[in-house]
Amino acid sequence: MKAQARDTAERLAIEAAQKDPARFAVLYEDNFERVYAYVARRVGDRAEAEDLTSEVFHQALASLSRFEWRGAPFAAWLFKIAANAIIDHAKRNAKEVELPESVDLSSDSSFQEIEDEIEQRARLFKQVDLLPLDQRRVIELRFAEEKSIRDIASELGRSEGAIKQLQFRALEKLRAQLRDE
Amino acid sequence: MDNEIWIEQLDEAVTAVIAGTDASLPSTDAGLAELLRVAVELRDLPRADFKARLRADLERRAFMSKSAVKPIREGFHTITPYVIVEKAEELIDFVKQAFGAEELFRGTGTAGGIHAEVKIDDSILMMGGGGGADLRKYWTPTGLHLYVKDADAVYQRALEAGATSLGGPVDQPYGDREAGVKDPSGNHWYIATHKATGHMPEGLRAVTPFLHPRGADRLIDFLERAFGAEEQSRYQTPDGVIHHATVKIGDSMIEMGEAHGPWQPMPTTFFMYVEDVDSSYRRALAAGGVSQGEPADQPYGDRVGGIRDPFDNVWYLATHIEGA
Repeated sequence: MKAQARDTAERLAIEAAQKDPARFAVLYEDNFERVYAYVARRVGDRAEAEDLTSEVFHQALASLSRFEWRGAPFAAWLFKIAANAIIDHAKRNAKEVELPESVDLSSDSSFQEIEDEIEQRARLFKQVDLLPLDQRRVIELRFAEEKSIRDIASELGRSEGAIKQLQFRALEKLRAQLRDE
Repeated sequence: MDNEIWIEQLDEAVTAVIAGTDASLPSTDAGLAELLRVAVELRDLPRADFKARLRADLERRAFMSKSAVKPIREGFHTITPYVIVEKAEELIDFVKQAFGAEELFRGTGTAGGIHAEVKIDDSILMMGGGGGADLRKYWTPTGLHLYVKDADAVYQRALEAGATSLGGPVDQPYGDREAGVKDPSGNHWYIATHKATGHMPEGLRAVTPFLHPRGADRLIDFLERAFGAEEQSRYQTPDGVIHHATVKIGDSMIEMGEAHGPWQPMPTTFFMYVEDVDSSYRRALAAGGVSQGEPADQPYGDRVGGIRDPFDNVWYLATHIEGA
């Protein structure tokens, strides 16, 4: 029942965005973390992950009018765009990256494998947004900005010990939330 | 194990995870290992400002894919209050927590200041600041009238989010239940629920700028001459002191009441969309405004000029120019 309700909501969001591209934001918010998690794990470099994630959503917005609902989740379509974008990017740069398998929309198992891999990570990224402000800032600065404890302490005007405590409490909370799901 | 030593060990392990050298970590106790599994997943955490920037890019692209260029950017009204404070990030967090604001955009300027756009109900507000004391001259804590469905509950939430009370909820003779708070950045929020029609009076939106000028009648006169404002209502004492007045500019309202007691002038920054920025800018100068910058095309798709009015309010006049 829950999956069915999700499908219906997603289908309505797609139809709304096809009529008015300004409504694309709903699909973006629902899927940003999934796409980013999928891409980041495959390219390993933050700047490239951002460029490719950006490319995926711009392509999706540009070709949304051609999207036809065939029962597969919208995310599967985005993963297919992402897989192709990663392959093209690797070819352009002649770089060694872990090339993704092309995503076969007609195969449930192909999508399921990707979903199993990234769903928990995508949920974790969303959970970071819900942390208390001081814990969230520490996690963002430490992991997304890759700053040292000393730099974070100086930026937030706290002691290094306090930052380590906040990091610990945030990780504890995230672990507990993931466990509850 | 001693808690402090344990937290130290956790941080050493997290440092190794971030550096990608965690494979060589010695085996650890189960509790630590579980936290490190979370840390490993967080290595790919996206940057919050990237997510907000990409969303804004997509929104711009979506808007441009529509046909003709309208002079007002999609989603905006004629007037957008631009709240500029020392700690913009804190303010953004406050409005999210207290008023359920949605962050639409956040970017950092070349001088290190933040520009953000947040939406509360049907109203967009711009927020800016940070960048150190050099930008102090731009800080303008603002008075804002906020209509909500339940003033009591929102007042309470604002206090919990760090605001101080300017007065608890009371029923006013003009049909509003109203309370006031001052947020940690010094902005005043007059939180109200209109009891007659819906939760806000006809003609107003969720957020309306509220000024406390010294000489409200002269300010109204300036707004009429500079921007073609139309006075909608005025309540004044027999000797002419304005208690409350509303003026309409384009599709937006501004409220004001003469400065008195604790309600002293709070010069405000406005971002205002007009049909033709060049002619509006010239008209505002002719009415007594002082230039803050000639109209010029900006990379974000607006042509913008600025003036300061005789009451120290700053008006960024803009016409949206970029489109398909």
